[in-house]
Amino acid sequence: MHLRRLHPLLLEISLSIAVSLAVFAGHAAADDFLNDESYEDKVSTDVPDPIEPVNRAVFTFNDKVYTWVLDPVATGYSKVLPADIRGCIGNFFYNLGEPVRSANCLLQGRFRDSGLALSRFALNSICGVFGLADTASHEFGIAPVKATLGETFSVWGIGDGFYLVAPLLGPSTLRDFTGSVVDSYAMAAYYPWGSDEVSPVVPFGVNTVNRTSLHLGEYEDLKSMSFDPYVAFRNGYFQMRSKSRNHSQPNNQQ
Amino acid sequence: MPATASTPPDPIEQFQPFLDKVTALLADPALKALPKKEQCQRVINVVRERFDFREMSKRVLGQQWRNLSDQEQDQFERLFTQLLQYAYVGKIDDYSGQKVEFTQKRIKGERAEVQTLLVDKDRSIPVSYILVLRGDQWMAYDVVVEGVSLVRNYMEQFKEILQKEEYAGLIQQIQSKISQFEQQHKQS
Repeated sequence: MHLRRLHPLLLEISLSIAVSLAVFAGHAAADDFLNDESYEDKVSTDVPDPIEPVNRAVFTFNDKVYTWVLDPVATGYSKVLPADIRGCIGNFFYNLGEPVRSANCLLQGRFRDSGLALSRFALNSICGVFGLADTASHEFGIAPVKATLGETFSVWGIGDGFYLVAPLLGPSTLRDFTGSVVDSYAMAAYYPWGSDEVSPVVPFGVNTVNRTSLHLGEYEDLKSMSFDPYVAFRNGYFQMRSKSRNHSQPNNQQ
Repeated sequence: MPATASTPPDPIEQFQPFLDKVTALLADPALKALPKKEQCQRVINVVRERFDFREMSKRVLGQQWRNLSDQEQDQFERLFTQLLQYAYVGKIDDYSGQKVEFTQKRIKGERAEVQTLLVDKDRSIPVSYILVLRGDQWMAYDVVVEGVSLVRNYMEQFKEILQKEEYAGLIQQIQSKISQFEQQHKQS
């Protein structure tokens, strides 16, 4: 299993080269709501959507999965487990991602954030009982640090490619999706349970159901307010992403 | 409109009493006893004190706004306000005493952002209000929930509808959405 432990970084680097060959460069700056230009028509999404018919089909599929499978399961789950326990389970999975987040911060040249992510991992794993509580935020005032491989690619000048709705996983772009696959593979390398190929799927399922149970109703709400849910979710995805990648915002640093 | 003073008023000072008033109204059991339509009307009357729906309508249509006649602009403002009223204000039942915490403010000329946290049982949702200075009053024209701007989200949807079906088609879609909400409210 030694090879597996080497995987994450090597893979992250080699894949980034492969992706950079396939995708042209382009980087969207974070918008400021107080600039009137950020409301001009041109902004919307800087990322093209050439495979819209395919994306729409996958979107419909995901919608059915959500409505007929995920939502009922998560509703039942939320009746069995109280909200604070579900919050703990969410924390536990989030904590497992900290080393990968720390590595991505390093690759992006955010050295301070990289250290913060690692200290959060140490604090929450030890004082937060294997990451069930977010002690680092509440007791030590270290807010969560956001970093993904997709963002690393973007820092390196690799463009989004195009908008992509992945089956079950939802909105992404070619670049970010490649990043998430590698990120999750890198996380699986040190999961505390089995090391075969199937077991990472189980925590993915639990994590998804758990996360859904904390956001029940929001999806339906957003859908009912939309004229074209596909466009509404595409736009929402890009807006949310640009916020989570704006590390200059003071509330992200604390 | 009077000229702007050199030091703009504090947006939080103006927004805090307003949001207190809104949450107090939402928490009032007397409100829930009223028919749905009346509830919406009460809430929207308070919301209007600090929301500039014309500015919101103007931004949500982007360049198209300038191509509309005065009557069309009025019509759009009325319909869009009604849509928001039903879509958001119609969710009065969901309110269960969540608190609003003010976290930050930013002022840039005649624009400002007030950042708040809506504190719920198991998590907090960041909600920002984007404001424009009208005389000495800060008025909101956008709400940003978890980084997603309401205006920009509708703007992109409307843009695609305008491209395919022009203004008349957009108006028709908004009207049918409103009657859809009205049906739901009658059933509940």
